[in-house]
Amino acid sequence: MSNPSEINGGSAVAMIGKDCVAIACDLRLGLQSVTVSGDFEKIFQYGGNFVAFTGLATDVQTVSTELRQKHALYEMVEERSMEPNTAAHLVSSMLYSRRFAPWFVGPLVAGINSTTGEPYVCSFDSIGSMDVSHDFVVTGTATNQLYGMAESLYEKDMSPEQLFETISQTLLCAADRDAITGSGGLVYVIEKNGKVTKKLLKSRQD
Amino acid sequence: MSRFNPYGDSSGGSSLAIAGADFAILAGDTRHSTGFSIDSRDQSQIADLGDGLFLTSNGFSADAKQLVDDLRTQIKWYHHNNNDHKLSISAAARTTMMLLYGKRFFPYYVNPIMIGMADDGTGAVYSFDPLGSYDREPSRAAGHASELLMPFLDNQVTFANQLDPQTGEPRKRLDLDLQTAVDLVKDAFTGAAERQVQVGDTLEIVILTKDGVDRQYYDLRRD
Repeated sequence: MSNPSEINGGSAVAMIGKDCVAIACDLRLGLQSVTVSGDFEKIFQYGGNFVAFTGLATDVQTVSTELRQKHALYEMVEERSMEPNTAAHLVSSMLYSRRFAPWFVGPLVAGINSTTGEPYVCSFDSIGSMDVSHDFVVTGTATNQLYGMAESLYEKDMSPEQLFETISQTLLCAADRDAITGSGGLVYVIEKNGKVTKKLLKSRQD
Repeated sequence: MSRFNPYGDSSGGSSLAIAGADFAILAGDTRHSTGFSIDSRDQSQIADLGDGLFLTSNGFSADAKQLVDDLRTQIKWYHHNNNDHKLSISAAARTTMMLLYGKRFFPYYVNPIMIGMADDGTGAVYSFDPLGSYDREPSRAAGHASELLMPFLDNQVTFANQLDPQTGEPRKRLDLDLQTAVDLVKDAFTGAAERQVQVGDTLEIVILTKDGVDRQYYDLRRD
């Protein structure tokens, strides 16, 4: 466990539904096998864009804060809100600027484009390679478990309620098979009409 | 000079088992690979041990084959010594443990799963680690896609994290019917084949009931 991406643990997942997107993360912060905190949120809101960062906790905080500054500057200079695909390209270029000394983060971007109304999810590797998906994206130490759950539970065009249930079961069951992901969950459901629902999930505490 | 390595990475894809009230299912894909090279697209990994027992052992396939040979020998001697008495699955599981632990300091590099019908008529799944530590379980996955398959089985076989919509209490365990279980196996494997390159080609399912054995085959992605 000298891999910096696996010291603190943690995972996140985002899914597209019909006129909605959902993004979820676990709440654990640990030092290898020792749990330090059970309320470490990994999803950050930038206007209508939701970005999850998993990986090395210090880099999660650094990158999420730096992105807050870049997002604020964009809205001041451009005098308009930032679309999800713009946020994704911003994250990508931020990460690539550290090509030879990377931040050890695995980000996800989720949001709904305010002009087209299209839901958008995107995942990245630690140096900014973008993977725009039409169904779901996963990241973190429970990546394999999340893929197994999402690949079998996911259906196209789910309602916000169905999407919440699917992403919650995906996260919870994946977290239970990864020792360094868990301690509760956090789910955002973002709808086309601008409605955002934030829900905390209780889960096994071991 | 590099030293000879007794273990290789040639292996079958993944396997999975579910136990029901009156059936047991053992399924595995028929892809066999070494690293990223596909050796075969139709190599069955489910061994028929006789006495209504079936075994998969994911890991290093040469060791897996040797374990099956060892078990067949043990079962043959058991028949010779006990007037052809059928070996029960609980005894077969203990025998497997003895064989694996007997190689404690030069282990077979395998994760075996065994299915059969228990003495009380219920379906039984036994899973082992490479040194012989074993347990009877409701379901188990092993091999390259075990991390993808296992949380899905927790969720759909033992209803992990599911609440009863009426009471809000954890959903009660109930015995799956055979068709539901077979459908779960197919869903699990099509999902795993989507993301795990070592899994694919064909899904082989062995269904064990009191009436006998049924083998079914389904296509998986071949890329």
